[in-house]
Amino acid sequence: MDEQKAYSDVELIVLSKKNPESFGILMERYQGPLFHYIRRITQLPNEDIEDLLQEVFIKIYQKLNEYDEVLKFSSWAYRIAHNHVVDYFRKVNARPQTNTLEDYEWEKIIHASIHIEKNIMDKDCVEKIKTCIQSLSINYREVLVLRFVEDKEYEEIMDILKKPKGTVATLIKRGKNLLVKKMKEQNINCF
Amino acid sequence: MKNLIQDTIRKIETQHITPKPRWKYLLKKYGLWMLFAIVLILGAVSFSMALDNSNNLDWDLYHFMHQDRLMYFLSIIPYFWIMLIATFLIIAFFEIRKTETGYRYSWSRILLITVGGIAIFGIFISLFGLGGRLNSKLTEEVPFYGQHMIVTKESQWMQPTKGFLAGIIVSVSEKKLEIKDLNGEKWNISIDEETLVKPSVNISPEEMIKIIGVKTSENNFKSEEIRPWTGRGMGNDQNGGTMNGNGYRGGMMQGN
Repeated sequence: MDEQKAYSDVELIVLSKKNPESFGILMERYQGPLFHYIRRITQLPNEDIEDLLQEVFIKIYQKLNEYDEVLKFSSWAYRIAHNHVVDYFRKVNARPQTNTLEDYEWEKIIHASIHIEKNIMDKDCVEKIKTCIQSLSINYREVLVLRFVEDKEYEEIMDILKKPKGTVATLIKRGKNLLVKKMKEQNINCF
Repeated sequence: MKNLIQDTIRKIETQHITPKPRWKYLLKKYGLWMLFAIVLILGAVSFSMALDNSNNLDWDLYHFMHQDRLMYFLSIIPYFWIMLIATFLIIAFFEIRKTETGYRYSWSRILLITVGGIAIFGIFISLFGLGGRLNSKLTEEVPFYGQHMIVTKESQWMQPTKGFLAGIIVSVSEKKLEIKDLNGEKWNISIDEETLVKPSVNISPEEMIKIIGVKTSENNFKSEEIRPWTGRGMGNDQNGGTMNGNGYRGGMMQGN
């Protein structure tokens, strides 16, 4: 099993179809990124995120034959996670209201969105900006998380969300603009 | 987190979870493309029907109706087919977007593919006369179609009060034609020196013609211009011919 750890995602997919143990290596590779992705776009406690993640992995396993190499495996896995989270919130008839982001993750979004100098940001200001970001709709928050926290390229975001590149670019731009607008409305002036 | 992996593998094994067969995925994938192809074909057929309908109409009659060109165009374009083509375009657009990698195409590219596909394939099938055959069939089988859903050549040329008449020549004399209109009614058509007879008109019995003129009384019509049933009758002589005292000059005229 250990030598399989050096295998590519595609090689592991082929092996996983015959042996679920090989799928374990793929899970090991992606459990961290997918766990954090789900955490960033939901406000669920860790146990719930783990339950969701397990369901996502089972879905990935069931869909292994659908994987098309035109996509990066990671993008495909993120897409399944995204869809599963959307389905989950639809089923429980709720929507993720706040992002459970770490401070450094907030900082990444804030800096990317409003171009302010790190050294002139005070804690109070950051808190106010966080509130503004939290009030954005999930569509905008998710692209901002994918772009500035997950550091995904436009093409990858496009593959994950199954949205055209232009739409992704528009969502990012509008998300940033909305953030600036909300800050102005609430008289947040940190610069 | 280590437990998550082991738990998931155990769940997969104990619940005998297996990857879904590839054929199901391929069926869905190619099914979507097949659906797109069907929509494209239907769009192309609609396009060829619209093309045939438009080709059959005379687009220059606004001169004689003293109407604005744009308003005239708007009154005769085949809305039914245009709306159907637009519907197929929208469906085709979303069909492409639903495919596995459809989201990668920009809307302008998809529009180009669908509009181009419908137009090229539509012209191609028009070359084989499919649009014309279907239009004729539909007009025959569904009278409502020809009467209310499109402007037909027949409806365009069966408006004697507005100055448009069409029919089959029954007899030809020096300054008079007798025709049987599209409803089977007989008309006496007077011709004079001013009547413009288009170059490719064959004025002889059994020929079908279109006449522009004025209805003078019941079943009497003074002609100003005579065209062949098909087309505007433009030959090499763009101005056509006129009648003079010795008969027609410009096209063909054979008395009986």
